[in-house]
Amino acid sequence: MRTWLMRPGAAFGAALLLLQVIAIVFAGLLAPYSPTTADPLHTLMPPSASHLLGTDVYGMDILSRIIYATRINLLVSITAVAGAFAIGVPLGLIIGFYSGIPSAIVMRLFDFIQSFPVFVLGMALVSVLGQEIWNVALVLAILFVPVFARLVRAEVLSLRQRPFISAARCSGATDRSIMFRHILPNAMTPALVQLSISVGMAILLTAGLSFIGAGVRMPTPEWGLMVSSGAQQLILGVWWVSLFPGIAIVLAVLCFALLGDELRILLDPRRRHR
Amino acid sequence: MSPETKTQAALEVLDLTVAFGPSASPHIVLSGISFQLGKNEILGIVGETGAGKSVLAQALLGLLPGDGRITQGSVTIAGKPIAAMSEGERRRLRGGTISLIGTNAKALLDPVERVGKQISRVLRIHRPCSRGQAWKETIDLLDKVGIVDPERRARAYPHELSGGMAQRIIIAMALITHPAIILADDATLGLDATVQVQVLDLLVERARQLGVSVVLITHDLGIIAHYCDRVAVMRDGKIEELQPVEHFLAQPQTAYSTSLLGAARAKPTRGDRLAAPVASAETGMDKDRILVVDNLCKTFDIGGGQPPVIAVDRVSFSLERGETLALVGESGSGKTTIGQCLLRLLPPNSGVIRFDGQDIATMEEPKLRPLRRRMQMVFQEPYVALNPRWRVSDLIAEPLDLLDRVPQTERRRRVDELLEMVQLPQHLARAYPHELTAGEQKRIGIARALATKPDFVVFDEPTTALDIRVRAQIIDLIRALQQDMGLSALFITHDLNSVRSLAHNVIVLNRGRIVELGLTEEIFEAPKDPYTRTLLAAELPIEWSDTRRSGAGRSPVVALGA
Repeated sequence: MRTWLMRPGAAFGAALLLLQVIAIVFAGLLAPYSPTTADPLHTLMPPSASHLLGTDVYGMDILSRIIYATRINLLVSITAVAGAFAIGVPLGLIIGFYSGIPSAIVMRLFDFIQSFPVFVLGMALVSVLGQEIWNVALVLAILFVPVFARLVRAEVLSLRQRPFISAARCSGATDRSIMFRHILPNAMTPALVQLSISVGMAILLTAGLSFIGAGVRMPTPEWGLMVSSGAQQLILGVWWVSLFPGIAIVLAVLCFALLGDELRILLDPRRRHR
Repeated sequence: MSPETKTQAALEVLDLTVAFGPSASPHIVLSGISFQLGKNEILGIVGETGAGKSVLAQALLGLLPGDGRITQGSVTIAGKPIAAMSEGERRRLRGGTISLIGTNAKALLDPVERVGKQISRVLRIHRPCSRGQAWKETIDLLDKVGIVDPERRARAYPHELSGGMAQRIIIAMALITHPAIILADDATLGLDATVQVQVLDLLVERARQLGVSVVLITHDLGIIAHYCDRVAVMRDGKIEELQPVEHFLAQPQTAYSTSLLGAARAKPTRGDRLAAPVASAETGMDKDRILVVDNLCKTFDIGGGQPPVIAVDRVSFSLERGETLALVGESGSGKTTIGQCLLRLLPPNSGVIRFDGQDIATMEEPKLRPLRRRMQMVFQEPYVALNPRWRVSDLIAEPLDLLDRVPQTERRRRVDELLEMVQLPQHLARAYPHELTAGEQKRIGIARALATKPDFVVFDEPTTALDIRVRAQIIDLIRALQQDMGLSALFITHDLNSVRSLAHNVIVLNRGRIVELGLTEEIFEAPKDPYTRTLLAAELPIEWSDTRRSGAGRSPVVALGA
């Protein structure tokens, strides 16, 4: 673990994650202003000593909003991906182990979900369910279930043929013990790596849905919404309203992408010793 | 070694040292290797896994992988040191003056190109000639390396060829430029014994005719005894001894060579083996038989509207308690399929498998599970048959956890006991499979199979892919275990030597059918079926004889540097 953190990618990713955790836990202490209080006298102020990252069109402090938005963006994304993981992994295990008509039906259902562009499907579902923050999470979860299930299924299909599975059957193992004790632990690595990468993708999707108006609504502090509210002003030279939340999105996505990549190295069984 | 002899040698290696890794703390893989290869000489290089044989071949070609480098010494080919050559000269050297025949021919061929084209390309790189001319020479050569219907075969893609045929293509590719030296690095590994002798006969015969020098790298002393003039024994990156094969076989100079030869020659005396049980098919009541197989059939669908492949064709035999039966045959003879059907890892198409009186051929899995503790299997490839994420102690205890459900302390005691039984130290209980050697992995596989004290065990190729001395140790271990536990065993193998030392009775299989069945001694001494005779003739005993294989044009031993 320690040598793993020596790797620059891992160290940078872990540092970014720590930063976000601090922002989530201590938002009330760190933010200089309330994230949702409008101040009509100080709208569109450029970065200064009193407002480090400036204010937006309603006069709300951008730094405070970015800090509070970490809660929404991260919690929504992590909940959605965790839900998708919890459903997708066992589902993938089962449809990989028992290939029959029911498994084929589930696979075609996944094809159906994945044949839509994620944004179009996301927009449609959110508008049907209502523009609530937890509905966004639910929609993201639905979009990510096939990703995990497919990954695990592919691993299971090849693991199923391996001689150590026959060896276990010879030792008297039942289907259940083969699935959970032999196959699942060996099939998890790609899913775990995907877990981290998916959180990054979910952050981007949450922000994207809000940006086009299909996610959360003002005045909720949310990165995508903040970028979108500053977009009209960009042409007038007001760059700070969109730029800073944009940087927050980039760093958050980068963080989880890096961690996912490094996780793959950490989880390789050949790295384990004694 | 006097400098005058240099002009005689096709290849001279002087004090060659090869290192990998950082220059501050290099990992020395070869050290102080010196030898000469005379014109038209066949030099064998023998050694166990990790001795540095393949690295030597790579160094001779100037093709060391990664950061490998020659730190000391020189390689001189046809009077010119390769260190002094330009990259272009070295390229002309490889494939032109010195060519390599590698292991696993099918992987060495480009899968998307016709094999004839691949051969003629090699020729055209080294000698300018027209496409038509190159193709013609390719066909001529394919004919000479014993390929029937060379015109058609030259137009085949690698996947359309058998392993032996692909190996001949590789040999043709190595010969087409009329090189002075051929390096054969385990060129026949993984081929059936009958194919192996055909391929080696051909290679050596061609080499003798064309006056080519050959370096035969192998771990099989039978090959050394039959084809080589001199032998170099390698160990830990050094040449332990180098002398004419005849002298080596009669009087090895080092203790290591003696132990290698001893392990390879190990042939048990008859008293060594268990007293044969009352034996033979006619006598013996049904209750004395642990296993009765009647008319077993197994086919595989290959799809594409083609008829299914018949892997096992109406096979019947029986096994007495305490008997060891060997199933021998070449790859594709159906021997592994039979083993897997017996343990119901594959469902048979038809036939009866009666284990201790109960027909298990069609038994439901839940009813079968309690019987599994009494019938076990030792799997062919030791590493892949072990879950890579489990520690040795859990791997060994898995059958106990599943079938016996013993308490923790008892479980630990049993694991220690089993480790001791297969002669492994107890500290290995905490290791993962990838930390073990192949021999240790094999022992873990055996320990797993014996954990539930079974009555019947299938050993699938227990000695393949193991080094000579490890192979001998595993055979000793199996023999000792059988004596102690009174096991009935089915021995699936193509290593006839191990059959001789372990089996009471033998079944010879060819294309899914039994061609011969009987007492081991009788079959080995007086084989009735022509197929059995071919199998036996392909064996290469480790003895010096004047009637060695392909004596055609064999030159007298050139005692260079002796």
